[in-house]
Amino acid sequence: MTLRPNANALAALAALAIAAPLLAVVALAVFGAWTDYLAHLAETRLTDYLANTAIVALCACATAGIVGAVSAWLVARYAFPGRAQLEWLLALPLAMPAYAAAYAWFDLTQAAGPLGFLPTVRGPVGAGFIFGLTLYPYVYLLMRETFAGQSSDAYDAARTLGAGPARAFTRIALPMARPALAAGLGLVLMETMADFGAVVHLGAPTLSVALVRAWAGEGSSPDAARLAVLLVTITFLILFIERAQRRRARQHAASGRVKPPRRVRLGGGAALAALAICAIPILAGLVIPMARLGWLALDAPVARGLGEAAINALSLAVITALIAAAFGIVAAYALRSRRPLGVAAARLAGLGYAVPGAVAALGVLIVFGQLQSGLDALWTSAFGQSFPFLLTAGAATLVFAYLSRFAAAAIGPSESALSRVTPSLEGAARSLGAGPRRVITQVHWPILSSGALLAGLLVFVEVLKELPATMILRPFNFDTLAVIAHNYASDERLGEAALPALLIAIFCLPAMVFVARRITRQERRAERQLATELG
Amino acid sequence: MTGLRTLQIEQVEIGYAPGRPAVAGVSLEFGCGSITALLGPSGSGKSTLLRAIAGLERVQAGEIRFAGELWSAPDAHRAPEERRCGVVFQDYALFPHLTALDNVAFGLSGPGRKSDAMAKLEAVELGARARAYPHELSGGEQQRVALARALTPEPDVMLLDEPFSGLDRRLRGALREASANALREAGAATLIVTHDAEEAMALADTIALMAEGRIIQTGDAQSLYLNPASEAAARLLGEVERFDATVTDGQAQTPFGEVGAPGLSEGAECAVLIRPEGVQITDGADGALAHVLERRITSGGAVLTLSLESGERVRATTPITAAHGAGDSVRLRLDTRFATVVAV
Repeated sequence: MTLRPNANALAALAALAIAAPLLAVVALAVFGAWTDYLAHLAETRLTDYLANTAIVALCACATAGIVGAVSAWLVARYAFPGRAQLEWLLALPLAMPAYAAAYAWFDLTQAAGPLGFLPTVRGPVGAGFIFGLTLYPYVYLLMRETFAGQSSDAYDAARTLGAGPARAFTRIALPMARPALAAGLGLVLMETMADFGAVVHLGAPTLSVALVRAWAGEGSSPDAARLAVLLVTITFLILFIERAQRRRARQHAASGRVKPPRRVRLGGGAALAALAICAIPILAGLVIPMARLGWLALDAPVARGLGEAAINALSLAVITALIAAAFGIVAAYALRSRRPLGVAAARLAGLGYAVPGAVAALGVLIVFGQLQSGLDALWTSAFGQSFPFLLTAGAATLVFAYLSRFAAAAIGPSESALSRVTPSLEGAARSLGAGPRRVITQVHWPILSSGALLAGLLVFVEVLKELPATMILRPFNFDTLAVIAHNYASDERLGEAALPALLIAIFCLPAMVFVARRITRQERRAERQLATELG
Repeated sequence: MTGLRTLQIEQVEIGYAPGRPAVAGVSLEFGCGSITALLGPSGSGKSTLLRAIAGLERVQAGEIRFAGELWSAPDAHRAPEERRCGVVFQDYALFPHLTALDNVAFGLSGPGRKSDAMAKLEAVELGARARAYPHELSGGEQQRVALARALTPEPDVMLLDEPFSGLDRRLRGALREASANALREAGAATLIVTHDAEEAMALADTIALMAEGRIIQTGDAQSLYLNPASEAAARLLGEVERFDATVTDGQAQTPFGEVGAPGLSEGAECAVLIRPEGVQITDGADGALAHVLERRITSGGAVLTLSLESGERVRATTPITAAHGAGDSVRLRLDTRFATVVAV
């Protein structure tokens, strides 16, 4: 007997709330009034937006794919000095918002900058490069896990059949890890498609920017919604391709028992080269941008309202993280129930990550706008005046939009944590005299809580870094660090933008350190266990 | 240096943890056209030795040479792809994302590689399955693809790591025979690592017994079975009864008679190792008296568990048609050809 608290209704409700903005966007795109703005856009800049989107996405994938796959391979399969530290350090650039890295790298490599001899980081290629540097950890983390769990026999077999290390890696190990690569690149693409700050700063406006401009500049929600539908179509296509890869992967799972590989010890020059290859992404994605932002901040006046913006940003992030973590737990139970309603609800919410922030924000505006006018009409007929509260005036809409986008990120960790509570584990507890309540508090919760914590921290980091939805939905006179940084950077006042951007990274860093160490430690424990079993 | 086309392993040591080598000073030689089995329990270091020959592990001491060329030494290591060693891994290690044909063609280069690979697949009667992916193949088919893949580049040395352990018992016999034929035809110097004595005896010309990182005896199946050098060696090849004795007048005493103890000094403690076939039921009156405690049917005959007058227990194999049952009294005699005396 398995304990399955009936969380399905709750999950369904939450999932509907999360999916509502997207449905609202689609509805508006279909039924909204047509203006000639779109036709005009199609004739003029739409091709640029699309071309930029494609180039940025391609360059981001190339950079993140190569950096992530190579570092994961080295860390998973070789032993060299510093490897254990690099294993978690390599995940940390996720703490750096892409726009912050864009400010720093653009400033460093512009003609008058200290690295002016390098090609200037700008345009769609530069933006793609920045996304690659800050988002490669998604690829790295997923591929490291795959490489570490993949039996080395196939690679060894390739070597005995005459393939050198490079050929055996590209022809055998890499294709076998293709689902992990696809999943990692999928996440990279979702973030790339959703970005607003970096592409604006580097002069490579993508579809997300077109959407925000249609909404803010032209004030046309239906046209923005139509662009949003175009954007979401692309992200869902990416999602679809990624899922298809994963299905194929299950069929292609290696035959026979899986024996985790022993790391090959590298000596001398090879060890040094591996160390350097793994250190470069950390330097380029995190250390150098942080140092440059710090340097810039030293010389510039502190931005107005910085303290308040920091408090706003942190409160939003903490509140959203707590709600998302709770939702993640509910969704995990819904998935465990295997009841169609619960599973469908959780999967629906899981799609939220493919909805870019600007789209989510637009959807939330539409939903709350409709809700407001409905309430107003109701209130007027009853009391002769409009509804006394303005729903869109508070930060609640913002939290709602964050949730619709990031709740998906909270499901995975809780789901995998709960999957460790096997039926036999519960059976053991029950047969030892524990009632359902005790099973939940003493068996489920201790195991589940680690997953929920991980989920909460991930959402915390994402919310702190989020820019476009925050810009669209923030209440009047309500700033966050991301918004301040973006506004100053748009005014070419990089000095003032530097400190808030740096603060985001500084706030995200401890959370990321915890997440990264937790993820890598889990595996080390499993490894030690294996070692004792073998010994 | 002796041995044209011979693989020579000299005093090889391999260890992961200091002070606890997985392979502790192993020497072994096998030539092209022969099949050698490395037989030992799991954890005896035999797979590690195989990986070292393939170049997948480095050696900490000693040398591995083929045809006089140095392959492995503490300060020299030829890469696996430059050794011309074919390996059949225990889990076959078929590339999951490549078809059977592409798996076999992986080790070939040049324009004719696909048709060469196809010919090899057809030779193992898998031509029709060329387009199948490994997960679509049965266990036996996977094994044949793995063997064909390893043989296709025409390696000088073939290494097989428990090649039949994943298979159904019924399949094993047929595949074993087909594999042995393919290996003999290929003419490479072949080493098969196994923990299955029956498999080693069926396949190999020479068997090397390995335990705790060392090779404890080498020889052909018959001499190893009948003349084991130690109790450990004896037990690797099959069941054995052990009786402790003292050498008297060059003979060791057992409850059912004397066994010659050549090479052991007078008065030395020794152990007499007797295969179950050596304990025979006799109709004569001169045998040792024993009571049948239990009779159990196996595929090789009826195995009796007997209690001797001294209280010692011994097992004997009789034809399944022999009518001895529990509670019967019988007389036992020893066929000394199945007995060996070893020092303790």
